[in-house]
Amino acid sequence: MEVEGMELAFEGVSVTRGSYDIRVSGSFCQGINLVSGRVGSGKSTVAAMAAGILSPDGGSIHRKGISTSMLSFQFPESGLTGSTVKEEVYSYGVHDADTLAMADLSGRGEDDPLSLSRGELKKLSLACVLSRPWDLLVLDGPFEALDCRGKREVCRWIEHRRSSIVILCTHEQHILPRIDALWEFQEHTLVFRGLVPEALARWDLAPTSIKTLISRGTLPFNVSEDDIREAACRIQG
Amino acid sequence: MIIIRGVRHGIIDIPSCAIPEGHTAVIGPNGSGKSTLLRIIAGLEEPVRGCITIGEQSPGESAVGWVHEVPGQNSLFTRVRDEITSPLRFRHLSCDEITSRAAEVAAQTGISSLMDRELATLSGGEQVLVALATAMISKPDILVLDEWDSHLDAPSSAMLQNQLNTGGVRTILQCTQNMDLAASADTIVFLTKGRVKATGTPLDVFGKCIDTCYYPPSWRWREWNLRSKG
Repeated sequence: MEVEGMELAFEGVSVTRGSYDIRVSGSFCQGINLVSGRVGSGKSTVAAMAAGILSPDGGSIHRKGISTSMLSFQFPESGLTGSTVKEEVYSYGVHDADTLAMADLSGRGEDDPLSLSRGELKKLSLACVLSRPWDLLVLDGPFEALDCRGKREVCRWIEHRRSSIVILCTHEQHILPRIDALWEFQEHTLVFRGLVPEALARWDLAPTSIKTLISRGTLPFNVSEDDIREAACRIQG
Repeated sequence: MIIIRGVRHGIIDIPSCAIPEGHTAVIGPNGSGKSTLLRIIAGLEEPVRGCITIGEQSPGESAVGWVHEVPGQNSLFTRVRDEITSPLRFRHLSCDEITSRAAEVAAQTGISSLMDRELATLSGGEQVLVALATAMISKPDILVLDEWDSHLDAPSSAMLQNQLNTGGVRTILQCTQNMDLAASADTIVFLTKGRVKATGTPLDVFGKCIDTCYYPPSWRWREWNLRSKG
């Protein structure tokens, strides 16, 4: 069920990490929110706070209209509970055959999940998470270890979740879903760059393709492969 | 030169393959056997059949630096400095030598500011950098990197790749899903279902997959730029 006006608000939130603080202020709304940032900037910390598994050292986090939430871990190995692939799927409360088919693992339900390759395990965990509706869905590094076909497939799954609040923390540069809002870490402070497409011109860590297009006077409509191709065709005529 | 002869192990089935010195990228779909092949070459697993030689030696006899695809998986210590210096401490090198080498490798990998942090408080990307520094500190003959780059942002992985390519390690073997990084290698080994689908220079191998998503994005952009400028 879609809830109108869902919001996840960070008010003056800070977390101390060694000699610096990670700072977050702003509200995540419905749609796909891309969070970009350098290694160690604070993406996984924001993901953990958004999912409610880490409390901030300062400030507060408010959830409006959010009844259900889920975090897809950067390292799915650390969250395994089943001793077989099928048990792992059941642990998410989803239908095993459909989910196994989604993950391209049909017929491997009795395998040890630790016998899967890292990419296979990543796709399995994403298929489990994305088989159920969530008001708030936090995806920490969902494309890591996936091959290019898997990344494209996961992009399609994510794009179907636009009615939720989706927080997508990633380093991926080439294969991305269409997004609604862009956030970026400046050092260790999360900054709202704005709504897409205008925000793309303010994206410091933008992929080379987007920077090239903008430098030649063309703003892509969004960040998906199709959007980048379309913008390139506009230049070529 | 790494010579693979009649190797069967898990999904891997390679009758013969020669990997020259230099930088080799192992690519292929998920589940194609990339990590298994790297583990055998690194000497972490013995193949059920067949053999691998690295120069005149077996994998177990070679000085191999290894970075696991799940950073932190092979960590022995909780503090970054202890983890990075452990390979040299186990060899009973002098404190001065260990301190100097640790500072050098930390600067190379950009983690000098993390030396006194607990590993558990680091991000996934930072843990990869620590694993890489730990693998590099003893100056191995071969560096085997199992998808180390997937946790890194683009500027960090490009900077580190450059460090690796100029760092003096004779043979670097890495698997990756980043085709731009793979394109910077000297040799590509493309695996599918445990078998070598193609091997050769990036031009040879990627030239055969222009219409697939394995073609390096930067190459597409370079070609588009040339076309659009007339």
